[in-house]
Formats: sequence, C-alpha cells, structure tokens
Amino acid sequence: MSEHSSWPEWIYVGVVVALLIYVGAEAWNIERIIEHIPSDAEIIQVAGQQWFWTFEHEDGTKEIGELHLKKDHAYKFEVVSKDVIHSFNIHDYVVLVDAVPGRVNTVWFSPDESGEFDIQCREYCGLIHYNMRAKLYVDDES
Amino acid sequence: MIMIYPINFSLALEDDPGKYINRKAEVWNLFYRMMTVAFVIGSVVSGTLIWLVWRFRESNPKAKKTKYEEQGKW
Repeated sequence: MSEHSSWPEWIYVGVVVALLIYVGAEAWNIERIIEHIPSDAEIIQVAGQQWFWTFEHEDGTKEIGELHLKKDHAYKFEVVSKDVIHSFNIHDYVVLVDAVPGRVNTVWFSPDESGEFDIQCREYCGLIHYNMRAKLYVDDES
Repeated sequence: MIMIYPINFSLALEDDPGKYINRKAEVWNLFYRMMTVAFVIGSVVSGTLIWLVWRFRESNPKAKKTKYEEQGKW
C-alpha cells in the first residue's frame, strides 16, 4: 500500500472537522450574545404554580394570568416555582426557561411587536398543565 | 465562514439603551445555519460512502483484482 495516496481522505477529514468547529463556535457565540442581559432591563418576578402564572413588576404591580409590557423595552424574567417543575414559555418570542422549586432562573427579551401573545407552561406539571396559560399584552409606548 | 466569525464576535455585546438584539431572529438564524451545516455534513458523508460502494464493487469495470485473487488464493 506504499503507493497509495491519502490526500482525498485528509481533505474529507478537514472539511468535516472545519464544519464541526464552525458549528461549535457559532452556537457558543450566539448563546453568549443571547444571554447577555442589557443593563437597563426591567426585572419581572415570575412565579409558576399549579396551574397559573403570577407576575410582579419592579414597582410592585402584580398580575395574575396576564402580563402587560411595553414594546422595545428590555425585560429580565426571574422565574421561580412554588410547587413542581414548570417551564415558562413565550412561544412567539422564543423565550423558554424552566421554573424549578428552590432556584431562580433568568431569561430576558425585548418585544419588538405590539399585540397579544400566549404564555404557556412547557413542562408537564400535572392534571391541568394543558391549560396553564397566561396572556402577554405588548403595548406601544405612548 | 472563518472570516465572518470575528465580525459577528466584535459586534456582539453592544449595550446601547433601546437597541436590543432580536432574540427570535438570532435563535432562528442559528437554527437554519445549523441545519445547513448538518445537511452539508450528511451529504458529504453519505455521498462519499455511496461513491465508495459504487466505485469499489467487484462488478465495476475499473475494479482490479487483488494480489490474492490474481494468485487464486482466496
């Protein structure tokens, strides 16, 4: 086999390794960008419990089953659970984080469209999990 | 892609008030890029295997006998 040329194999290996390095680097970088919370983000305390969501704004305003936010503002959610594991999800804005008893998990986003959006539990949490929903209202700043 | 990466990297963490990243766009863009890479790798690997099986089958006109076959030892 001494006359055998192996350069096609090396090109093949190189292409695959380069693509895998790109995948790892790009995924890491996007995750880093997404997880960077803006310094002016308003903190919203989110509590999940069987089977509804409660929200508390920085000024102490509390909401149950609905959340009112302003368009083009940044919001940081501090998500907790009062009983079992839930998962806080705003599908239209790709916001998803588990609500775990004894932990405070954070996620942030900035709504760029006004309107009504669904908030839902994304982790099976018991009998009425399917209906553990809330409504997100994004208002134009006026 | 190696050229593009540092450009993204340097623009990443600007913290101007009111100028926020579009989380939805970032996540879905990443998803589509990853899918593109996944299909490219899948094509390269499976394409290579298909070519390998086709090219080195016994019935290929270009197939050469091994030295064992030439000596009738197999």
